[in-house]
Amino acid sequence: MRNDISERRAETGESQADLAAAVGVTRQTINAIERERYDPSLELAFGLADHFDCRIEDLFDPTEEDR
Amino acid sequence: MSEHTTPATTRPSDRKRYKRIAYGLLGAGILALWIGIATDRFVLGVLLYWAGGLGMGLVQRFSPVDLYDERDTTIERKASLTTMNVFAYLFILGAPGGLALQESGTVELPDEFYGAMWTLFAVSVVFGASLLYYKYRT
Repeated sequence: MRNDISERRAETGESQADLAAAVGVTRQTINAIERERYDPSLELAFGLADHFDCRIEDLFDPTEEDR
Repeated sequence: MSEHTTPATTRPSDRKRYKRIAYGLLGAGILALWIGIATDRFVLGVLLYWAGGLGMGLVQRFSPVDLYDERDTTIERKASLTTMNVFAYLFILGAPGGLALQESGTVELPDEFYGAMWTLFAVSVVFGASLLYYKYRT
């Protein structure tokens, strides 16, 4: 699913590993989400939204294929 | 919203360390089994192999960090589904196909064929039971 996690991460100066540790997943999972190869669970999506202090729909932009 | 946050206590280094311990125990068990077979101490080898496997399971169950995250679980689930599909087709096509070839006199099926088909049947029964269990639980 399309998302702007890498842009937000760049703004905060975090590495994928930093973000992964903060939300309790592996760096590979963050990498896969950023490359739109893996859609996170609702729980992780909430965790990411909490981390970036925004709403889930601000982070993720589902395309027609995702719906 | 913080109640939705995924636990932030799992550091990658901890996860890697405990994974290494878990797989190390299993690897040591397998090595012990090989050595046991090679030195004609088969029972000791099997006991050590079981101990290694049990140790791996205990580390996975009781380690203070989650060794696998949700993507690992998703990958494992997809791999399991693919494996089940492969064996389902082998069973569905292979069992009647093999028997038809036997009946037509094209091939003489070895006993291993029947063993393999019964094993696939048993796997299918377990899969069906699991499916029903989770269907009614979810």
